[in-house]
Amino acid sequence: MRTVLVTLLGALVLGAVLLAATGANPLEAYGAIVTGAFGPDGIQDTLAYAVPVVGMATALAVPLRAGMVNLGGEGQLVLGAISAIVVGSHVPGVLGIVAALVAGAAAGALYATVAAVCETRLGVPLLVSTLLLSYPAMSFAAYLVRFPMRDAGSSLPQSEQLPPDVRLPALGSVTVGVFLVVAAVAVFAVVDARTPAGFEARVTGWGPRFAAYAGIERPGLTVRLLACSGGLAGLVGAVVVLGFPYRFIDGALITPQYTWIGLLAALLAAANPLGTLVAAVFFAALTSGGFAMERATQVPRELTAVLQAVLIIFLAAATGVLRKRRNPA
Amino acid sequence: MTQRQPDAVALRGIVKRFPGVLANDHVDLTVAPGEIHALMGENGAGKSTLMSILYGLSRPDAGTVELAGRPVAFGSAAAAIEAGIGMVQQGFALFDTLSVTDNVIFGAEPRRHGLLDRRAARTAVGALVERHGLRLSPTDRVGDLPVGLRQQVEILKLLYRQANVLILDEPTAVLTPAETDRLFDVLRGLAAEGRTILFVSHKLHEVLALSDNVTVLRDGRVTLSCATADTDRGALAAAMTGRAVELDRIYPVGAPGEVVLSAQGLTIRGHPALDDVSLEVRAGEVVGIAGVAGNGQTELVAAIAGLRPLDAGTVTLGGRDLGGLPVRERRAAGLAHLPEDRAEVGSAPGATLANNLATGFQRRLARRGFLRPRAIRAHGSAIVEEYGVRAAGVDAPMRTLSGGNQQKAILGRELAHDAPVLLVEQPTRGVDIGAIAQIHRRIISYRDAGHAVLLVSAELSEIRALADRVLVMYEGRIVASFGKDEATNEALGLAMAGGAR
Repeated sequence: MRTVLVTLLGALVLGAVLLAATGANPLEAYGAIVTGAFGPDGIQDTLAYAVPVVGMATALAVPLRAGMVNLGGEGQLVLGAISAIVVGSHVPGVLGIVAALVAGAAAGALYATVAAVCETRLGVPLLVSTLLLSYPAMSFAAYLVRFPMRDAGSSLPQSEQLPPDVRLPALGSVTVGVFLVVAAVAVFAVVDARTPAGFEARVTGWGPRFAAYAGIERPGLTVRLLACSGGLAGLVGAVVVLGFPYRFIDGALITPQYTWIGLLAALLAAANPLGTLVAAVFFAALTSGGFAMERATQVPRELTAVLQAVLIIFLAAATGVLRKRRNPA
Repeated sequence: MTQRQPDAVALRGIVKRFPGVLANDHVDLTVAPGEIHALMGENGAGKSTLMSILYGLSRPDAGTVELAGRPVAFGSAAAAIEAGIGMVQQGFALFDTLSVTDNVIFGAEPRRHGLLDRRAARTAVGALVERHGLRLSPTDRVGDLPVGLRQQVEILKLLYRQANVLILDEPTAVLTPAETDRLFDVLRGLAAEGRTILFVSHKLHEVLALSDNVTVLRDGRVTLSCATADTDRGALAAAMTGRAVELDRIYPVGAPGEVVLSAQGLTIRGHPALDDVSLEVRAGEVVGIAGVAGNGQTELVAAIAGLRPLDAGTVTLGGRDLGGLPVRERRAAGLAHLPEDRAEVGSAPGATLANNLATGFQRRLARRGFLRPRAIRAHGSAIVEEYGVRAAGVDAPMRTLSGGNQQKAILGRELAHDAPVLLVEQPTRGVDIGAIAQIHRRIISYRDAGHAVLLVSAELSEIRALADRVLVMYEGRIVASFGKDEATNEALGLAMAGGAR
């Protein structure tokens, strides 16, 4: 803990130097970040951003616990979102909401399963199969909202809005979808720590050869973990489009970098369920605080990104050092 | 020899403290030129600390190091190497993708016009291989070599650098009797040339066979230092452990019953390969597999355990065909396995002892689908207690345990399955002599409880102590079979060298 705090301080000092070098007042800039992240308005932005980031972080942490990396989160997220729109615009009422969420999760799960089977049956490494399958999924969704599903009344590549009865009830800046994400984190934490299946995933993460020797079958585990991972990513996509503005806008799930910030959080936390949650919320706060700083001060957009990068690298180094100290080679 | 030469190596009054441990407590060690000096002690006795001080890897808190009569203080291994000290560490420091030659010359490459002179390198390395009677080809890729031969590459590196003082840390741990004999010939030859050998080992018979003088450490202190001719196995073991130890007990044959494990025509193509191997193990019987490392023993066990696919052949357990079954179902059918590679395969060194011991039991320990940490700890504590595993607690990471205690824990976990068939590979490699007798007793009592045990060991004494029948593997085939009484060192040694066709 002390190492982490010292590192944070180090990153802040280096950031202050950078800020001062561009003529900005570091204290003012940092103040803007904190108000932007946790102030009365900021907290709403942070929460709205944190829901998908935490969801994606948890989704990617599931296979990472067993040492498997799902790089196809974006594709699974987008497929989940578009499937939820398709189902949600055809099934009315509460049933429609449920069906849309289930469809989102199922689409993500199925698509991630394809990537898993590519590894277990065809020998394509998971890193490659998940990442490469992500692109056609994003392109497919982009095609759908440009042509067959395009909102005729708009010039943007976006779907029509969902009917008012197929929308998740809002709670401030977020929707009740936040409970789904929290529940996912809780289920992950319990399965991870308290079930044979979670134990087997962890054993695989400790040592793949040890796991194989102990009779834990990697192919089956890969498929199951990827299905859960993709399913959760798809659910996150569904939750996002069932909230404001209640439609699929091309790029809206990609540009905010939910997937990659989530992956970063999961990696930093070594896929520990609660650690992943904390890291994801932290990064969400940092990002929304960064946007606020951009608005409130003269600090250019690029410098916000640099500041975030400095913080992340320092934190990564700190956790890396801690891990090494705990497990001397 | 009229004038006494200065000692090649003299360590005087070496003290080294680590937090909570006095690793070396006023240790003296002097070695004359041309002497082979054995340094003995159990794991944690301070051997490695002492050698790392000599090799410049750490500095003593007190005491002096002299080389050929001159005090030295190496700041690094590079300085020690410069001064003519060479060390073969226990783990390998080799590039798997490079050839033997490239590995040997690395860091001291012969040059011609500023470029690497590959021909000179090959010639030099080839000549060394020839001269020392090693079984290496200079062009072989190191990654393709069996473990036993990689060790020879490490030794070749020292020879190539013409080290004057050679430190070998447990060099025979991975060698077979024939390879060990060859290594000893090499070392004797080097000593005859006036080089000084420090031989770190805990194998009594090797120390007695090879060394001129011996120093024994226990808990950081010298407990015995004398000419090897003036001591014997019992005295050395007592100096190492601080008590009398039962050595080399040969257990009487058991009472074999029905055939439980049967392997017919097992074949794995490739190198090293398995070529039409058939064997049967009965309930209440230990069948030992002897052979030089890399002759198919590892593949045989992996094939039976389901960790390597077979090209041909069948394995049946209690009459049930295991063909095509994954590891989990084989284990469920009644197979337990103590693997050769403790750190990579047999355990997860970074995970806690309790988690290591629960692996394989996770489904059985769960109640109503939930696996409680309390159940995992209780399961671990039971094994720790039953097998006398010494650890800081079941929440201690596996890697903090000594080799012997890790092995006891892993054996305990596998025996706890109470499986009809136990596969055991190198059960006492790198294990203290105190723990060896315990592990042997456990295996025999498992046999006497009516289980079938297939034992693979590179230690002939172990095979002879435990096995009711001995099969010898050579180049992937079973080339000889002996009853307990027929399995003499001579007969086994001859068969292991391929002489029993």
